[in-house]
Amino acid sequence: MKGSIADVCIVGVGAVGGILAKQLTSAGLKVVAFERGPALKTAEYAQRDSISYIARPDQLEGVRHEPRIFRTSATQPGNLRYETSPFNVLGGSMLLWTGQASRFMPGDFKVYSNEVAGGLADRAGVDLRGYDVVDWPIGYDDLEPYYERFEWEFGVAGVAGMNPFAGPRRKPYPLPPLKMTARMQLFGEAAKRLGYHPFIGPAAVTSEPYRPPAPYDTRIPERPACVYCGHCNHYGCHVNAKASTLHTAIPVALQTGNLELRTNCKVASITTDDKGIATGVKYFDPSGVLQEQSARVVILSAFVFEHVRLLLLSKGDGKRFKNGLANSSGLVGKCFFGHGDMRVYGLFDNFIINGFIGSGAAAMRIDDFNGNNFDHTGLGFIRGGTVGCSGDGAPVSRMDIVPPDVRSWGKEFKEYFMRYYTRTFDIHMAPETLPRRDNCIDLDPRRRDRWGLPLPRVTFAFHENEKRMHLFLADIGERIFREAGADKVWTELPRPAPTRQCGGTRMGSDPNTSVVNGYCQSHDVPNLFIVGSSVFPTMSGYPATATISALAYRTAEYIERQRDWFH
Amino acid sequence: MMQLKSQSSREYRGERLEALTVRQARFIDAIAARILPTTDTPGAIEAGAVFYIDRAVAGPYLHLLSRYARGLRALDKHAKRQFGAAFEKLSGEQQDSALGDLESGRIAELDDGEAFFELLRTHVLEGVFGELSYGGNKDMIGWKLVGFPGQQWGYPETYINKAIDLPPVTWEGLPKKPGQS
Repeated sequence: MKGSIADVCIVGVGAVGGILAKQLTSAGLKVVAFERGPALKTAEYAQRDSISYIARPDQLEGVRHEPRIFRTSATQPGNLRYETSPFNVLGGSMLLWTGQASRFMPGDFKVYSNEVAGGLADRAGVDLRGYDVVDWPIGYDDLEPYYERFEWEFGVAGVAGMNPFAGPRRKPYPLPPLKMTARMQLFGEAAKRLGYHPFIGPAAVTSEPYRPPAPYDTRIPERPACVYCGHCNHYGCHVNAKASTLHTAIPVALQTGNLELRTNCKVASITTDDKGIATGVKYFDPSGVLQEQSARVVILSAFVFEHVRLLLLSKGDGKRFKNGLANSSGLVGKCFFGHGDMRVYGLFDNFIINGFIGSGAAAMRIDDFNGNNFDHTGLGFIRGGTVGCSGDGAPVSRMDIVPPDVRSWGKEFKEYFMRYYTRTFDIHMAPETLPRRDNCIDLDPRRRDRWGLPLPRVTFAFHENEKRMHLFLADIGERIFREAGADKVWTELPRPAPTRQCGGTRMGSDPNTSVVNGYCQSHDVPNLFIVGSSVFPTMSGYPATATISALAYRTAEYIERQRDWFH
Repeated sequence: MMQLKSQSSREYRGERLEALTVRQARFIDAIAARILPTTDTPGAIEAGAVFYIDRAVAGPYLHLLSRYARGLRALDKHAKRQFGAAFEKLSGEQQDSALGDLESGRIAELDDGEAFFELLRTHVLEGVFGELSYGGNKDMIGWKLVGFPGQQWGYPETYINKAIDLPPVTWEGLPKKPGQS
C-alpha cells in the first residue's frame, strides 16, 4: 500500500488498535496499522520470568525505548520511569495485563451532574477548587452493547447479578467464574460478615476453552482454559487464556486481506493539509528512515502519553497548529490522572494462602465504597474505588512487602519471608483521581528517545480529595483483614504517581473544553480520532480496558458509517 | 581465546566472573551473607547471589559497575574507621552495624548511601529468589526456602490452606514450551 492512500491509518496496535483493525478491515476498509514494537511469539513474551518482567522492566523490548519523566511539581526536573504499561509490542499491554474486565458504573459518566450539580460534593463537605470535573458526553447506555461485544469476543468469566452496584446488562458473562482461591475465600467471607456485598470480579481469562458463538465474531480462534499458574499481572500468558488482541482480533483482521501491519515502525507526527485536515502520518521505518503514509482517516490508539506527544509534535505548517494538533481548546495534555496504587497487606499465622496460584484477575471485590455507592456526608471527599483481594506473585514480587516492625534484611527478614511468603495477601484499592488541569503531560525540553523525539513529561500530584479517599479506603481494607482473622495488617499508601493512566485528550460536547467528541473524533480535525483512556473526562474506581474496548467498537462503527469519506 | 589469559584471575568459587573482580565478589559475598544469612538453612552465599550480581553488571546494568566499586570502597573505608578492620574481617554484628550505617545514609563518602544499600539488598534478594538463568538461586535454593514451586505450567487445584506438595521446577525444566502442543 506504500505510495497509495490508505482508508485508515491506525497508530498503535494494542487493545484498542486491535479491535479497530478487526472492525474496520471487516467492513472492507483498507487499513495500514503502525506498531512501534515487534510482533512477539508466545515463547518470547510468556517466559513467566520474574527477573525480566518484575525486576527489570527497563530492559524489556516493549519498554526500554520510551521511558517517561515523572515529577510532582513544575519546578522539578523529574525522574525517568519505565513501566510495563504501555507495553510497546503488537497486542500492547493486553499481553501483560491482569485481565480485570469490569464495566464502568452508570454514575461514572455523570460525576458533574451527580456530585457537583447534584449536591453530593456539598454534602461531603469537599472543596473542589482546582479540580475540573465534567460529565462524559455519552453514558453507560451508549456503551452497554459494546461492553457486551467485548465480553463475548474476548471471553469474560464472571457472575452476572452478583454485584448489586453494577449497571444493567442485557446478557450474562459468556464464561463461568474462575476457580476460588484462598484469598478470595477469606476476603469474601469477611466482607460478607461486615455487611458488604462481595462479588467475583469479572476476568477476561478463560475459565473454560472458549470461542465466541454467533452473533459475535465466530472467526476469532478458540483459546484454551486458564491453568492457574499464577503468573498473570505483568506477565505474558503462556497458554493464551488471558485475553489479548494478539490472539483474537489481530489474526482476524489479517485474514481479511485488508490490513497491512507495519511493526517496528514509530509514528513521529500526523500530517495535515492547508485546510487543517489530516492527510496521514510520518513514521520511522524499522531502519530509522523517516517515511510517509497517506490516509483518509487517522486514528491514534497508542495510549495516553503517546497521544499527547504526537498531537503536540504535529504542528502542521507551524502556524495553524502551533500549539499542536487538535488543541484549539489548549487541553491536550491537561487533566491527566489515574488510580492511586495502594494496598493493605495482611499476614496469617494459621492460614496458608499460596498467593502464587490462581488467576490474577480472579478476585473477590466489593463496590460498597466505589463511585457514589455510599453516603459521603461529612467525609471530606467524593467518589471512591473498588476494593478487592490480590497478591499474586513469585518471591521477587513479594520480597519488598515487609511489615513495618520487621527489619527488611538479615536473619529477621529471612525468618519472616520463609514463614509468611505463602501466608500473606493484599487488599488492593483502585481509588479514583479527579481531573485537574495542573496534573498534566507535556514534552520534556531536554531528554529524547531513540528516534530523537522529546520524551513525555508528567507533572502530577494527589490533592486533598484523593488523600482523604486513600485514608478512608485503607481503613476499609484494614477492617476486612481484621475480620478475616489476619494476625498483622499494614497499609502502603500510593506513591505520588498514578497507575492505569487516563486523560490528556478528554471528550466532551463543547470544543472549548474538550479535545474529542463522544465518538472520539477530534473537534478540530474531523478525520482524526483518538481512542483510549486518554479521552476519559473523569475516571472510575475500575481499570479502563473494558471501557476503552467498548469505545473502540463504537468508534469503528461510527467510522464505517461515514461511507462518503472513503468514496 | 583472547580472554584465556585473564580467566584464572577471574575465577571465584569455581565460576568465572564476567565483570566483578575476585576482591569485589568476596566483598559482595560478605554483604550478601548479612542480607540473607546462612542459618540452619542455606542463604545468599549458597544461592550464589554474587553470580547474579556479576552477570547483571556485566550485561544490562554495566553502568552500575562503577557504582558498586565506589560504594564498596566507601563501605570498606567506613568499616576500617569504625572498627579498625576491613569489612570482611569484622564480626557479624559489626558488619550489620556498618550496613545499618549505609542503610541510613551515615557514611560520609557516599551521598547516595541509602540508595546504594537498597540496590545491594534488591540485587542480593533477586540473586536468591530470581530465575536460575540469571546466575543465582542455585539449585532453586531461594524457592525452596519460601515454598515457591517455581515456574509450574499450572496447578491442578488452588491449594486453599494446604501446603504444596510439588517439587519446584524451572522454565528450562518444563516438559513443554508455549507454542508447542
